[in-house]
Amino acid sequence: MSSAQIEIQLIASIVAVACAIPGTFLVLRKMAMISDAISHSILPGIVVGFFITQDLNSPLLILLAALTGIITVVLVEYIQKTGLVKEDTAIGLVFPALFSIGVILIAKNANDVHLDVDAVLLGELAFAPFDRLLTGGTDVGPKSLWVVGSILIVTVTLLILFFKELKVSTFDKGLAASLGFSPAIIHYGLMSISSVTTVGAFDAVGAILVVALMIAPAAAAYLLTTDLKKMLALAIIFGIFSAVFGYWVAHWLDASIAGSITTVLGLVFLLVYLFAPSKGIIAVMYRERQQQTEVSLLTFLLHLKNHDELEERHVNHLNEHINWQKVRAKTVLDLAQKNNMITIEKNIVSLTKKGNEFTSKAINYIMTNEDTQIEDMKDDFFLFRG
Amino acid sequence: MKKVILLFIITLVITSCKNDVKNEENINKKLNVVTTTTMITDLVKNIGGNLINVKGLMGAGVDPHLYKASEGDVTKLVNADVIFYNGLHLEGKLVEVFEKMEASNKTPIALAKEINKRHLIGSEYFASNYDPHVWFNIDFFEKFAEKVTLVLSEKDPTNAETYRTNEKRYLTELEKLREDVESAIEALEPEKRILVTAHDAFNYFGKSYGFEVVGLQGLSTATEAGVKDVQKLAAFIIEKNIKAIFIESSVPKRTIEALQKAVNSKGHKVEIGGTLYSDALGSEGSNEGTYVGMYRYNIKTIVSALQ
Repeated sequence: MSSAQIEIQLIASIVAVACAIPGTFLVLRKMAMISDAISHSILPGIVVGFFITQDLNSPLLILLAALTGIITVVLVEYIQKTGLVKEDTAIGLVFPALFSIGVILIAKNANDVHLDVDAVLLGELAFAPFDRLLTGGTDVGPKSLWVVGSILIVTVTLLILFFKELKVSTFDKGLAASLGFSPAIIHYGLMSISSVTTVGAFDAVGAILVVALMIAPAAAAYLLTTDLKKMLALAIIFGIFSAVFGYWVAHWLDASIAGSITTVLGLVFLLVYLFAPSKGIIAVMYRERQQQTEVSLLTFLLHLKNHDELEERHVNHLNEHINWQKVRAKTVLDLAQKNNMITIEKNIVSLTKKGNEFTSKAINYIMTNEDTQIEDMKDDFFLFRG
Repeated sequence: MKKVILLFIITLVITSCKNDVKNEENINKKLNVVTTTTMITDLVKNIGGNLINVKGLMGAGVDPHLYKASEGDVTKLVNADVIFYNGLHLEGKLVEVFEKMEASNKTPIALAKEINKRHLIGSEYFASNYDPHVWFNIDFFEKFAEKVTLVLSEKDPTNAETYRTNEKRYLTELEKLREDVESAIEALEPEKRILVTAHDAFNYFGKSYGFEVVGLQGLSTATEAGVKDVQKLAAFIIEKNIKAIFIESSVPKRTIEALQKAVNSKGHKVEIGGTLYSDALGSEGSNEGTYVGMYRYNIKTIVSALQ
């Protein structure tokens, strides 16, 4: 592996961490799309910068880009505060407007210059190692490594200093205000960090990858934990894993690095989405199925409680009388037997003492909706978990 | 914990695969040359022949404005001794990357720099920006060939003689091409020499042979044509009674088809004269896969459609 390849993975990993931190808070605040919005709305900043300097390579262009990013955030916040539209609508209103201002400026004044976001922000991970930072003639590493490294240090420092404030203002704005720190300041701080990270990371790795690195790891982590610290840690782990693994996928396929990393991010999220222990789609499906069976069980037990006649309690009766399919009847019978709620003698079903008590409690719960008596039942049955 | 994980990953990445790149370089003593567009790749292959390893970054049909790097391109660039590229922002930010490489031991050469700025077509609004599609002027492409020969001879003096022989042969080929092109265009009356294409790639071609060139999109293929552009151009086509407009191989044909519909809806009939190769050559191995073949194909298409 050449030093260029190591540097690419290093840059990708650092960007992954720098994006995962604000990304986690953005996902929790339902503002995830702000990174996508910023990647578009920086265009007018770049165009105006070009009009001033007439030079596509001037750092002023990137500076103005970051500034437009912050303007985007302020405008989004302003529209949101009116309370007339939702968060995502406000984002959707602001960034196309800013982007089209950029497009119109180009069309009117610079149609014959190759001026677009790609021409100013490098956005290509493959070339990052060749853009070196030289101080006094010595090569100190790729420029993007220094840029994203500095962004990461600032982000981590701010995260450690303001962790409590961020946490409280994310989950309970009212409490944050009453505790004496303004949620607005924290919000703008977070958004500014997101904006600077987006523009800086944009230059290093490209737009799509920045958006993916901000959202996918945080969204996957969100499905796995309800603890903020754990969510941050998981998002960072997912980000770094995807960056390094995605790089090697690109190596094997000789494909775009950013594309491969984004694909791996998507796959990581898909796996978590399917297999997460409590919020995953498979867990949810299992739970719903189980609840259905349990409702049937309860119906069956009630039936037994209300009927003493032998013919009503015959096993075959389940199929005929309550009109259940054979498979379902068997599942219900098995479940009831497993919990010692019924006994079957010569194909006649009878309630046990436990079964009798369970049924009374369940009926009582359904009638009064007081859940003090059924606490112990929650462990065995999904039905009573609310 | 985060830092520990990060450090762990970094050490893992650094220690796990420390293959010697130098080994590869030693095995391969031929000069490693990296090129950008297919035109330059073809030129360098003609002059270097089997004596050098030529690796082109952009394949056939790839629009240089929109080129995306693959992982393999990193290794190509790492191992490169010489890099030949067009310049004038044709390769986007890649140009800037190459300019920065000048400090390293690689030798990036912007071939368009060989052309005197006086001959370049500048931007109407911004003096320091030029039209990068210079290869359509055969004189300029000859300058490219001379520069490539010079650089290769300097880098690899033992084979300098062969490079010069190859150059001479190639320049004769270009000379023949120029004569054929001129005589083919002679057949077209001057008032019929109007070339309408998808984007502004043929300005140098137009300047050389007295064509009026109109591109539907601007210089950058990333911008979209506006409705007004289409309407204005449609009126222009009707006014000048133009018979055919052209698609480009590396630009989607949608916009040109929209233009054709706009013209036809006004009762004038304009045909799509065929596909021209603008920013990239045809697929490798085909006739249009070489600069000379591409140029002949373009001329044949243009002349037969406009006649």
